[in-house]
Amino acid sequence: MAMTAAALDAAHDGLRAAGIDFVSGLPDGWQRPLHERVEIDPEIRYVPVCNEGVGFSICAGAWLGGKKPALIMENSGIRVASEYIARISLGTGVPVTLLCSYRGDVGETEHWGIPHGIVAEPLLQALRVKYLVVRHVEDLAKSIVRAKRIAEAQLHPAAVLVSGDCVWED
Amino acid sequence: MALDRYEWLGRLANRLPEDCLVMSTYIGAVSFEWGHHTEEHHRTAHLGQMGDVIGLALGLALALPHRKVVCLDGDGSVLMELGQLVAMGEQQPGNLVVFVVDNGVYESIGWSGQGRRPTATAGHVDLAAIAAGCGVPYTVDVTAEDELDAEIELAFSRSVCSFINVRTRPGHSHVRPRRTDGIEDKYRFVRYVERLEGIWITGVPPQDIALMKGKEH
Repeated sequence: MAMTAAALDAAHDGLRAAGIDFVSGLPDGWQRPLHERVEIDPEIRYVPVCNEGVGFSICAGAWLGGKKPALIMENSGIRVASEYIARISLGTGVPVTLLCSYRGDVGETEHWGIPHGIVAEPLLQALRVKYLVVRHVEDLAKSIVRAKRIAEAQLHPAAVLVSGDCVWED
Repeated sequence: MALDRYEWLGRLANRLPEDCLVMSTYIGAVSFEWGHHTEEHHRTAHLGQMGDVIGLALGLALALPHRKVVCLDGDGSVLMELGQLVAMGEQQPGNLVVFVVDNGVYESIGWSGQGRRPTATAGHVDLAAIAAGCGVPYTVDVTAEDELDAEIELAFSRSVCSFINVRTRPGHSHVRPRRTDGIEDKYRFVRYVERLEGIWITGVPPQDIALMKGKEH
């Protein structure tokens, strides 16, 4: 299962409207189409990684060079990236927009997604990362724009967790 | 054979091109001595920590492909996140040169009568070989001063993504700790890059002022 076609368009539109011009990420089942879309967008430099922590560091470095970065990943990747969110952003104040599949949200079908859903929000709160949970496609693009905006204002990451109607057509 | 850290960092600092940027650690002897040798110039971002220095440098190099980016890291830090080398080998930015102070120990944590705590490079691990295996186009393991001179010359005379591992003797910092923290170092570096590149990194950019005022601008 992957994000719906409408959610894919909304997410891509949101990234572009937010001025995101640099994306790193590790694809997951839900957001795989977004990685494919971003990779061929001439306005966005796409850097695939095999580890979300490395992706976060790369995004932070790109910001220092004037880019507007986003890290696209499953919410399990928040755990991996948390080490570098703490070291880099809590320590020095660097903004990165995080766009995460919300595995384990209400409606989840896979047992392995449950732990991801248990940990994600408390971990974001511990890292002082403000976030929006988006369950309706019509909210997705503007939520990405707003997350990027506060990330830049507070010089610290902000996140969008994607779930609900963005992935399930039940 | 291994080199003296303070001495070789000074030699690198003296040969650093005027128009390059540097990503360094901001804790430990490497940062203290680099800050001393460079007189705290604003071209160095003392922003990296264990496991993220190469990643930060890679992002910076990709953001500014016309600008030479030098990375200063330590063996313990590289070992903590080897996935950085995978990304470096995949992207291969020609403007990125990584120098590793490989002294085979965790220097900054101190030591007792049993000696310093070794890193894995004191054993069987070869960081230059790992980087080569990850696809980094040019990797070398430096063990002598004349070799380092040649590698510095090569690194700054061409555009090849490079990983230069410098076998270094353990030893406490020759200089005092730096006074600044990551916040001050971040602003100092960002303001320098803004002036250097003529770009806008922090604050409200002109196109968003209209949004703040709620009207066209």
